Amino acid sequence: MSVQKTVIKVKNLVKKYGKLNAVDDVSFSVQKGEVFGLLGENGAGKTTTLEIIEGLRRATSGEVEVLGHNIREANGRVKQKIGVQLQSSAYYQFLTLKEILSLFCKFYGACTDPMELLDMVDLKDKANSYVGKLSGGQKQRFSIVASLVNDPEIVFLDEPTTGLDPLARRNLWGLISKIKAQGKTIILTTHYMEEAELLCDRVAIMEKGKILALNETHKLIENAKIPYTISFSINKVDKKIFEKVLKFGEIENVFGRVKQFELRIKNAKDLASALDEVRKLKPESFTVGRATLEEIFIELTGKTIGED
Amino acid sequence: MLSRNRQASFWALFFPLIFTFIFGLFFGKTTTVGTIGEVNKSNTQIAKALDKALIDSKLLKIEKFDSVDEAKSEMKKNTISAVLVVPEDFGDFAPGSPTQVQTYYDQGNAQVNSVLIGFLNSFLTNASFQSQNAKMVFSVDAIKISDRELTYFDFVLAGILGLALMNSSIIGIAIAMSKYREDKILKRITTTPLPTWVFIVAEVLSRLVLNIFQVTIILLVGYFVFDAHIYGSLFVLIPLVLVGAILFQLLGFVIASFSKTADAAQGMATALTIPMMFLTGVFFPIDQLPKWLYSIVQFLPLAPLLRMIRQVMLEATSPFDNPINAIIVAAWIVGALLISIWKFRLTEE
Repeated sequence: MSVQKTVIKVKNLVKKYGKLNAVDDVSFSVQKGEVFGLLGENGAGKTTTLEIIEGLRRATSGEVEVLGHNIREANGRVKQKIGVQLQSSAYYQFLTLKEILSLFCKFYGACTDPMELLDMVDLKDKANSYVGKLSGGQKQRFSIVASLVNDPEIVFLDEPTTGLDPLARRNLWGLISKIKAQGKTIILTTHYMEEAELLCDRVAIMEKGKILALNETHKLIENAKIPYTISFSINKVDKKIFEKVLKFGEIENVFGRVKQFELRIKNAKDLASALDEVRKLKPESFTVGRATLEEIFIELTGKTIGED
Repeated sequence: MLSRNRQASFWALFFPLIFTFIFGLFFGKTTTVGTIGEVNKSNTQIAKALDKALIDSKLLKIEKFDSVDEAKSEMKKNTISAVLVVPEDFGDFAPGSPTQVQTYYDQGNAQVNSVLIGFLNSFLTNASFQSQNAKMVFSVDAIKISDRELTYFDFVLAGILGLALMNSSIIGIAIAMSKYREDKILKRITTTPLPTWVFIVAEVLSRLVLNIFQVTIILLVGYFVFDAHIYGSLFVLIPLVLVGAILFQLLGFVIASFSKTADAAQGMATALTIPMMFLTGVFFPIDQLPKWLYSIVQFLPLAPLLRMIRQVMLEATSPFDNPINAIIVAAWIVGALLISIWKFRLTEE
């Protein structure tokens, strides 16, 4: 196994706006090559945290180190090596996609071929169009690819799929995976749980400027109160076996239907043994369900996430 | 990029060109004040001399009519502004011959009439003296301070140059920067290593190229289409104009420093440019203003700049001949620069 390299270190980060602590003592680190997700509803402090790391905002206190540089001291050097897609930003109205990418190349002094980048996001045929002529999904794809002009080591994506239709979102997930496959580190913020679950190696769940939970995505799921549920239907209830099954968690008669049950397993490690016991009941059918990040979010915050 | 932005091009180029054409059509080439109708029924020497002097003076365009009624009806149609009637036998020294000419005029166009009456009085006084073999004792000796021919259009053309610079620079920068900031284009730029000052200098320089283009076209149209007189050197005029452009761009940055949206920037820029357009000598000399107003507006940035432009363009003298103008312009540049450095931000935070 290769030695993991830390590319971002955030320590006791605080950002105050008057009396409001937008970011409240946040600490985490990001390893090279991983997709790190910051999850939370609007106003949780995700974007502020991201923008401090990107060098766009100054922290009230705390330390941020990016690629070995203190962001306060080496803002320019860090910006040279990172790519940023802002939550909402427009591009020059009267420049074509190709011209915008060439312009941004000049800002970095070095660059990937604009046509190659446009090809990567299937926008090659739009090279001579204005941004205003693109659809929502195309705009977002362009916005992401514009963050890659300097071949960055770390890519920051701030809510890249917000406001997109399901197809366009899936399209972007493919693009994000492609960027990860190039060996780049990605930090993304989102309030779509399924997106974080699908894309992120690790996630930090934020609320009111604080990190409530931080772990590898699958571990967060396994550590949930009910990490797995087994739904099964049986013709005959064998009481002996049924009692054994009950050891693994609560069982519920689903929707009052006599033969339909749901076993909520409390400990992730018990999944295999529980499955063995359920099998002994000779179920007509069974399915295994995993806790979702959404459920964990509800568990941690006591509320569902919304887009406001 | 700017050439693709038709609205910006309109403000930068067509707006001042419209003024150039309007003023050029009214006051370019010809210096006459207006057109009058003349009904001359006399064949005497004096009547003929009056005709000739009127034509030679080039003060007014003259259309001849056979009857007073015909001329009057033309005046009602506004094609002529006054009518001069020289009655039959006017200038004949025979007893009973008429000794007066008549003018009919529209009160709405008193300027033409006053020019006409002034001319007639002077001519007829002279003629009266001559007819009695007397000599004029008192007269006016009007001495031009320069032999150069200058027209009102020349005066206005210099004003239009300043107006064009002011509008495109103040409005252009204020709105563009506020809009870029509102749309987070500027924020996106701050995510790159490009230093802010490089971005601002690049914006200013690219607009100066536009300003050179803008000024050149206005001067070419003024000179070739409307016979404007440009006596000074373009090598002095163009740099001076660019100094003016930098001043107005900085004022644009000052507005963008305080406006949160492009709409607000537009309002603020308009509130600044409109009074300057009418009060600082674009279309008429500001010494015609009430004294209290003059004492204020002479310090507005466009006023000293226009004085300098006219010094160079029309008098072919150094723009520093009257150093107070340069001092006021420099003070505005320094002031606007300091405020911009202090307050202008690429992002909202």
